[in-house]
Amino acid sequence: MALAGCGGSDGSGGASGPKAAAIAAKEASQPRRGGTIEYGHYQEPPCLVTTWVQTGYLTRQYLEQLITVDDKGKFLPWLADAWEISDDKKTYTFQLKRDVTFSNGEPFDSAAVKANFDNWFSTDPTRRNGYVAFHVEDHIDRIETPDDHTVVFRLKHPHHPFLSALSQYAFGFLAPSVIKKGPEEWCVRPVGTGPFVVEKWNRGSNVVLKRNPSYSSPPGDVENKGPAYVEGINWKFLKDNTARWGSLKSAESDVIYDVPGVNWAEANQRYEILQHVTGGRPSQLALAVDHEPFNDVRVRKAFQYASDRRKAVETVFQGAVPYNGNGALSTSSPEHVEELEDYYGHDPDKANQLLDEAGWTERNGDGTRTKRGKPLTVRIVYGAGSIISGDGAQFLQVVQDQANQVGFDVQLKPITTAEFFAGKGRQPGEYEIQPGYWVARSAEIFQVVWKPDAKVPDGTVIPNANNPSRFQEPEVWKLVRQADRTYDDAKRTALYQEVQRALVEKHAVTVGAYPLTVTLALGDNLTGIRLNASIGEPIFNDAYFVK
Amino acid sequence: MSTIAIDAPGAAGAARIGALLRSLPVGVRIAGAIVALYLLAAVLPGLLQPHDPFATDLDAALQGPSVAHPFGTDQSGRDVLSRVIEGTRQSLAIGVGATALSFVFALALGIAAGLGGKLVDGAINRFLEVLFAFPILFVALLFVAVFGQSVTTQIIAVAIGTAPGYARIIRGQFLTVKGSAYVEAARAVGHSYGKIVRQHVFPNAMRPLVVMFTLGVGQAIVWASGLAFLGLGVAPPSPEWGALLDAGRAYVTSAWWLELTPGLAIVVFALSVTIVGRHVQERLEGKVKVQPL
Amino acid sequence: MARRLGGAVFVLWATATFTFVVQLFMPGDRATMIINTQAGNLQSPSAEQLAALNARYGFDDSYLAQYVRYIGDLAQGDLGISYNQHQPVTEIIAAQIGPTIVLTLSALVLAWLISLVVTVLATGRDNAWSRAATGFQIVTAALPPYWIGTIFLVVLSVQLGIFPVEGSNTLVGTILPAFTLAIPLSGFLGQITQDEFARVLDQPFVTSSRTRGIGDLGVRLKHVLRHAVLPAVTLSGWALGALFSGAVLIEVVFSRQGIGGVLVQATNGRDIPLVTGVMLASAAMYIVANLLVDIAYRFIDPRLKSA
Repeated sequence: MALAGCGGSDGSGGASGPKAAAIAAKEASQPRRGGTIEYGHYQEPPCLVTTWVQTGYLTRQYLEQLITVDDKGKFLPWLADAWEISDDKKTYTFQLKRDVTFSNGEPFDSAAVKANFDNWFSTDPTRRNGYVAFHVEDHIDRIETPDDHTVVFRLKHPHHPFLSALSQYAFGFLAPSVIKKGPEEWCVRPVGTGPFVVEKWNRGSNVVLKRNPSYSSPPGDVENKGPAYVEGINWKFLKDNTARWGSLKSAESDVIYDVPGVNWAEANQRYEILQHVTGGRPSQLALAVDHEPFNDVRVRKAFQYASDRRKAVETVFQGAVPYNGNGALSTSSPEHVEELEDYYGHDPDKANQLLDEAGWTERNGDGTRTKRGKPLTVRIVYGAGSIISGDGAQFLQVVQDQANQVGFDVQLKPITTAEFFAGKGRQPGEYEIQPGYWVARSAEIFQVVWKPDAKVPDGTVIPNANNPSRFQEPEVWKLVRQADRTYDDAKRTALYQEVQRALVEKHAVTVGAYPLTVTLALGDNLTGIRLNASIGEPIFNDAYFVK
Repeated sequence: MSTIAIDAPGAAGAARIGALLRSLPVGVRIAGAIVALYLLAAVLPGLLQPHDPFATDLDAALQGPSVAHPFGTDQSGRDVLSRVIEGTRQSLAIGVGATALSFVFALALGIAAGLGGKLVDGAINRFLEVLFAFPILFVALLFVAVFGQSVTTQIIAVAIGTAPGYARIIRGQFLTVKGSAYVEAARAVGHSYGKIVRQHVFPNAMRPLVVMFTLGVGQAIVWASGLAFLGLGVAPPSPEWGALLDAGRAYVTSAWWLELTPGLAIVVFALSVTIVGRHVQERLEGKVKVQPL
Repeated sequence: MARRLGGAVFVLWATATFTFVVQLFMPGDRATMIINTQAGNLQSPSAEQLAALNARYGFDDSYLAQYVRYIGDLAQGDLGISYNQHQPVTEIIAAQIGPTIVLTLSALVLAWLISLVVTVLATGRDNAWSRAATGFQIVTAALPPYWIGTIFLVVLSVQLGIFPVEGSNTLVGTILPAFTLAIPLSGFLGQITQDEFARVLDQPFVTSSRTRGIGDLGVRLKHVLRHAVLPAVTLSGWALGALFSGAVLIEVVFSRQGIGGVLVQATNGRDIPLVTGVMLASAAMYIVANLLVDIAYRFIDPRLKSA
């Protein structure tokens, strides 16, 4: 499903010239030791251990999880050798690898696993791991450690996505002594069991990662069973697109993250490209169904038909990012329904007809439709730079222009990262559309995104902030829960697909756009990098320099 | 002359304007014409735009300059010339607005400091000292974080950032002029304080500010565009010049027109305004020299 | 001296107060914001979680109490702990301010060199050179620094490979960013110096030097320059502020370490102690710069020595 490990999407096979020669040399080569990888990454996190996906790419290098997953959806051992699920599906028992130590010498054992989970579920927000909590806190009853190498998770109810959740980047373990010291310590000196060790973080510049010489816990999806071949990674933060691309061209970097759209054609022609389409919720536009005008499904459908989103994505991103028309689920998630990709094609006539039917028949001086004197205004509130890139903002402008043609008055409201996290303009009623994505491996994201608002005992409602469309149809939620508890693969997939159809076809609450992607461009000397099948973190265990 | 004025006052006015124009150096005339063109673009952009500045056309994305699109098209096929023209209003509003607001602050502070007593002067000086310690973009970042991103926020932030510089110059001017020979003379002749300030101190102190103002407008546009570069500019699809510059940055090598044309719009405007401003100042200087006491 | 010190303390106090107070009025709940920033997405924190954070940072106290506590700590040299980086603010700033100082000072020196060379050689000669110099200065003053920076980066580093693409604190790595910052400033300083230079050239003492047989360049260098630079020297303290602003942008373009990146990240993350810390650092730089300007002033203008 995922394009992970796929060598260049643009005819790399038939190409000749330096790229073909380099790939041939890479294929003919044998792993050799030595060298430090110069890696040009994008954003710098505020702390070296957070649950933000941008940090996940980095933590993958020093923190490790119980299990991992391959691109066929098979779960593979990592820090756990083996696991079994009880017949009632409520007990998950993991056998841990023996003789694994954290890079500071502390043993990795069941107590360490327990300490990490306790820390993630802490009520102290500076310790709490929101990502982990969203995925498993509702389902875990208790965690038991019968011996040093056994961890037992007792669930409240069967939850099939449990393994899938554990295979995700946010479940990496820190050494217990570091947990004790708190974020002041792990933000700058995290200690894990991974193939690399954080030597130094030069804030604003780079993180120096050194090979862990006593590494002994390779995940099931790598070939090299010992310490990494390279001596280390110089993980550089090159946020500026021009600088990052230039650093590959000038060979100051051996590999870079996220090729800018404008350089995509050249990159494909010249360099080996690895791309992974991240699963979960793609970048999509959530339509707020809790008030006018999108409380009317006809208006929601009209908005979908109003714009040629496929062409907009293809034009604006210039091929660097694919289209993802099924807004419910990313194209790389195993349960993704392909027919929904073009369910809402570009059809302005249909859009006009639907809006007429919905009663938005008058027009004001600007050509905007009105109903009872109220203009058909929709505000798109988005985190500029943080959630929506420059190219993403271009895409929104195309959607805006095309929707305005059928009588919408679309207003773009970019908000700063500070405002975004403060929730400004994102409270119910303050927006009609919110773009956003949420990474996960697969449809397990539904139980995070579509969970109904919580009601605390005193009667106050805590809105589910992950559900910006405010869509809370009990029917759909019931389907999600049913699917999560179904262990028969075919039946479960069918249920998840039913959820997608309901969200897209019937209720039209999400407008598909494009998925989150992880794209690496490699210089001619470096090979053996993999992208994880779940979130696409780069894996360097097998990486080596050809010469 | 007077008979003509009675017969056709319009013609006399025109003749006088014609004479004034003829007296201007060619460079100043060209610069003046360019400034006028910018003003026209700001007031009536539709008159100059070949296309709708917001209409996307995905089939015409990233086309180089041509007869149909003299400045080429952008990533979503919009006409860049029309967008640059459309952006004139906001950019000039930011440039002129921020500088004007800054001058109002600066005048109030500078005049109070220059004309007030020692105590007022000392207090204002302290205040300016504090404002000086805030780099303009730092203030702007804070302001945008607190008040959100909008043209108004940009104008106020840039105005606060630039005001202390002008205020200090204005204060200095007032102090110099106040102590100058002709003011002493005016006082000796027995002119009232208010009259001296109105007739001598104010006009003389204001003279160098004309060039400061014209320089400031260009600077303000540049600073505001810096905010756009940090992603804190005005909301799309507004084609404010800073936003255009920021959007075009990635395309320097592949679609140079996206980056070059808004950049030129800023530079040509700043250049023209400065040339006009310098000329106006020279004229004023000339007048001041012959001004009788 | 005591007066100066008093002034410096006042500026620092006012800077801290202004920055701190303005940020208290930022939109949104600070505890929610910290939780969201940490998680990288919008959370629905429980009352319990919010209470824990409010207690830790004292957000429940009155604004006055928070302010008094901050200023009290500040007086003892404690700038607090960053909300998002969980490190002492002083450590974060200390690690980043060096590269910014190097960048801004080199840019200031370069800007002065460029503007003086152009001024001395071109002013007051009524020829094409003079007009070209004026035009050059007006145009450069109007160039957005990050725009020049991008073009330098693309042409000189990416295409021609003369300079490194990635920023570094080495001499070679500082050349392009410093020039990028210096060029617009040189246009600004140059215009002011040039006006003054032209004015001084008309003064009687210059004419008398010429009649004593001193060559044109000699007159310009020995007599005119000293007087002509004074107004622009006064502006150097201000110029340093402008360079600090420019550095925020240029550090991004050239991927350099520095205080600008810290500030952008801190304002984005609403990290009040860190934002205030950066403002204080820049105010301190400004105070030092002004002290240096005063010294330079006395050095250049002998009249002030006796005064």
